[in-house]
Amino acid sequence: MAFISSGYNPDKPMVNRITDIGPKYYEEFYPPVIKKNKGKWLYHEILEPGICVHVAESGDELYVLRVGGCRIMSVSHIREINEIADKHCDGYLRFTTRNNIEFMVDSKDKVEPLKNDLLSRKQPGGCYKFPLGGTGAGITNIVHTQGWIHCHTPATDASGTVKATMDVLFDQFTDMKLPAKLRVSMACCLNMCGAVHCSDIAILGYHRKPPMLDHEYLDKMCEIPLAVAACPTAAIKPAKVEVNGQQVKSVSVKAERCMFCGNCYTMCPSMPLADTEGDGIVLMAGGKISNRISAPKFSKVVVAFIENEMPRWPTMTKAIKKMVDTYAGDANKYERFGDWAERIGWEKFYEKTGLEFTHHLIDDFRDPAYYTWRQTTNFKFTNAIK
Amino acid sequence: METVEFGGKTFSVDEDGFIDSFDNWCPEWVQYVKSVEGIDELNDEHSKLVDVLRDYYEKNGIAPMVRVLSKVTGFKLKHIYELFPSGPGKGACKMAGLPKPTGCV
Repeated sequence: MAFISSGYNPDKPMVNRITDIGPKYYEEFYPPVIKKNKGKWLYHEILEPGICVHVAESGDELYVLRVGGCRIMSVSHIREINEIADKHCDGYLRFTTRNNIEFMVDSKDKVEPLKNDLLSRKQPGGCYKFPLGGTGAGITNIVHTQGWIHCHTPATDASGTVKATMDVLFDQFTDMKLPAKLRVSMACCLNMCGAVHCSDIAILGYHRKPPMLDHEYLDKMCEIPLAVAACPTAAIKPAKVEVNGQQVKSVSVKAERCMFCGNCYTMCPSMPLADTEGDGIVLMAGGKISNRISAPKFSKVVVAFIENEMPRWPTMTKAIKKMVDTYAGDANKYERFGDWAERIGWEKFYEKTGLEFTHHLIDDFRDPAYYTWRQTTNFKFTNAIK
Repeated sequence: METVEFGGKTFSVDEDGFIDSFDNWCPEWVQYVKSVEGIDELNDEHSKLVDVLRDYYEKNGIAPMVRVLSKVTGFKLKHIYELFPSGPGKGACKMAGLPKPTGCV
């Protein structure tokens, strides 16, 4: 395409430069009923999956329709969202912290036409463009990352695994029949961008092989002390290596100390570790961030490894479905996934879900590992550990 | 790797315009980076920053933290941005011939 200037002059980059203006003030985009009743809401109700009503002191009502968003979306999709907002909501809409889309209307008679419009729109392949749901005790959107779409350190894909998982859990998105809300998150490497460390169920990309060393370029591309300091298990040390008869500075990796976190590759481009057969997925479970009843929890590793099986990840989605179904059938009302697992004991969790307990799941990282072992005779006999 | 020619010399650079090796740096490289980084006039303060960066890298094997760079040169971060509009990493380190900054930037 031909070059079209925006008015920016590359020869004088600092001329007419606007900076440090921050984001737009959010009140500019409030629907009138929100602006009027801000800070004066009395109560809310979930009318049906995906539809909430908020009632203000003044008696004003705000109906909110929440629909799933795929997070990575094209401009044409955004324009379609805008078109719906123009048609039904006076041009106002918002996105949630889990990347769902919320359309807001100020009277009950506007709800049904909006709902019908949203559910009538489908992708050419057959998917709902705007599936209604994500409220209450169900499974809402999956917070996820870049994966093979854009990042350079992933061990698995984000959009693909999320699509496969949401397809399997779709009934829970459009319904509210779980004991409590269940949050699923996904991160494609253990940088854990997002919320995998604090989600009810988490999908995490994982490597199983140590980095390869590109000795020829390592000292030129990398700041060696940074690569050494990046290693949580101190497996990396500086080394002199001979390349084409010349001594060059580089590093050596003690493979038996390496746990394949990939931090060194983040700091040093000459230490790649992605591997087709080696890479895959770890499943974690039992985290939460709310303070309701119990304190926030970290999620724990419950499945040590599942291979990458593009494009549908059937083994992974089967394990997730099994966990969700067992939890749904066994937990008490208001009990989050981690609350349930801790109440029945993790040994019972493995027995009920049928997940395999392996030595990989036993914490061995520094002193705090000791506190995750069992210093009590309180336990239940199960068939989960053979 | 791409190559660029400037002032009668040829440099290998990556896609972000960082030089392939610290050892291939030369004064012509400084002039080349000046031409691509939106710097009007090179002055003593530019060369002081470049000297400090090269000196620190040679001694320590890493680029200095911004606080160290500020403390050693006496330039506040705001002033560093006035000298190098792209900032200490993309601007000054590139001119000094240091490796491209890594991590979640």
